[in-house]
Amino acid sequence: MVELVPTLLRQELARLAEDDLRLDGRGRWEGREVTLETDCLYNAEGSAKVTMGGTIVYAGVKFELRTPWPDRPSQGSLMCGAELRPVAHRKYEPGPPSPQSIELGRVVDRGIRESGCIDMESLCIVPGEKVWGVMIDIHVLSDGGNIFDACGLAAIAALRTAIVPAERFDVGEDYTLKVKGTPIMASFTRVGGRYVYDPSEEEELGGDERIHITLGDEGHLHSLQKGLRGVFTPAEFAEIFDVAHHRCVELRKLVANQEGN
Amino acid sequence: MGGYGDVQLLRDDGLRLDGRKLDEMRPVTIEAGVLPAADGSAMVTQGLNVAVAAVYGPMEAHPRKIQRQDRAVIDVRYNMAPFSTSDRIRPGFNRRSREISKVTAEALESVVLVERFPRSKIRVEIEILAAEAGTRCAGITAAAVALADAGIPMRDLIVGVASGKVEDIVVLDLDKAEDNYGQADLPVGILPNTGEIAFLQMDGDLSPDEYNLAMEYNFKAAAEIHEIMVDALKRRYEGGES
Repeated sequence: MVELVPTLLRQELARLAEDDLRLDGRGRWEGREVTLETDCLYNAEGSAKVTMGGTIVYAGVKFELRTPWPDRPSQGSLMCGAELRPVAHRKYEPGPPSPQSIELGRVVDRGIRESGCIDMESLCIVPGEKVWGVMIDIHVLSDGGNIFDACGLAAIAALRTAIVPAERFDVGEDYTLKVKGTPIMASFTRVGGRYVYDPSEEEELGGDERIHITLGDEGHLHSLQKGLRGVFTPAEFAEIFDVAHHRCVELRKLVANQEGN
Repeated sequence: MGGYGDVQLLRDDGLRLDGRKLDEMRPVTIEAGVLPAADGSAMVTQGLNVAVAAVYGPMEAHPRKIQRQDRAVIDVRYNMAPFSTSDRIRPGFNRRSREISKVTAEALESVVLVERFPRSKIRVEIEILAAEAGTRCAGITAAAVALADAGIPMRDLIVGVASGKVEDIVVLDLDKAEDNYGQADLPVGILPNTGEIAFLQMDGDLSPDEYNLAMEYNFKAAAEIHEIMVDALKRRYEGGES
């Protein structure tokens, strides 16, 4: 389904931007309230639910036993996929995975993979024969804007609570998956000519290009992605990078607090 | 159905493995209006099952060949999340979910006043986030609450419930073990006010007497769940929120 971009909405967003205002009254770098719940799905080995304003996302972790790739006989594998199912918004239609959902899954996947938080060698059971395949599936239930950040947060939170189901597969005792670090994503969209953090549904509809930044515990970049039509300057990037840095520290605390409970 | 005879499903004291009585259902919770992006939505938990339904529409029906000149069509998608079961299931439609979607759509078309919306489509999305037997019933219940939440006119609500048979005894609301190793399963969609049935499936082996008892259990459970549904809808609108 093609979303109509109302000219009036774009005009309104541009007018608000002149006074550095946002449609929902937030400051330019202010995020919506985020809630995180973990261990919330029976049958998933690790799970998380994230809400961010009107956005609701679930992530579930499953394990499979598989034979390792011939060139990496002592390494397991990690895969992260996202589904933008028709449940999440009237604009999503059934069918094979859309380019948007593929991009979403791959951006989240890169952030987690490249942060090195999972040691692939630790997923090996018998070199050359048996390794764990870790699958993170992300299910978007309600798209109220900025699903990228919500998906990234749900994925890492689910992963960090995952229990390896070794008993069920008859390869030893269950144990908690070892995850070093908490990569966090921060996303920005150009609205009314300037970037804002954590775009809402309306801001995405009436906005332009977006930038996704994933940072690790040390503040290192692990994944970057620019999406949609538009350009930005190095100065603009420097500004949002700074915001991303602070926001990621806050969200990482949220994950740590949740685990502390 | 017709699983392994050597699995004990009833305890020596006559109760079921999880301690329920024969005609006792698993605890049910319902919340309406859980998805901000949808026109109507609901989440149902029944035991360990978690079902979420979203309703979009009525909207333009396309492709055009699905349009009906005299009424709306209801387009249902029942989908199990990859992490909803013990072994991960591959994302996407399979034959089982296609069939469930079809008969669920037909059941919902029997209660929604579809003739009010000619040439349009109402989309009902049912997502199973956690599965422990009886997900199609939880999905139907969730869909009914979501339709009501969307303000779509209906003749009645519809409640999904199931009874079955384990160790030659009729029981209400099968759990996972009872579903896997039991002898019969009878999921139905009941209109609680009119007492009609809009959804019916069955597999396994039931005598006529057993069928009658299973149906009796189903109607009793439907009345209980109906109260929870009504309560969820009242809670949703009590605060004056829309």
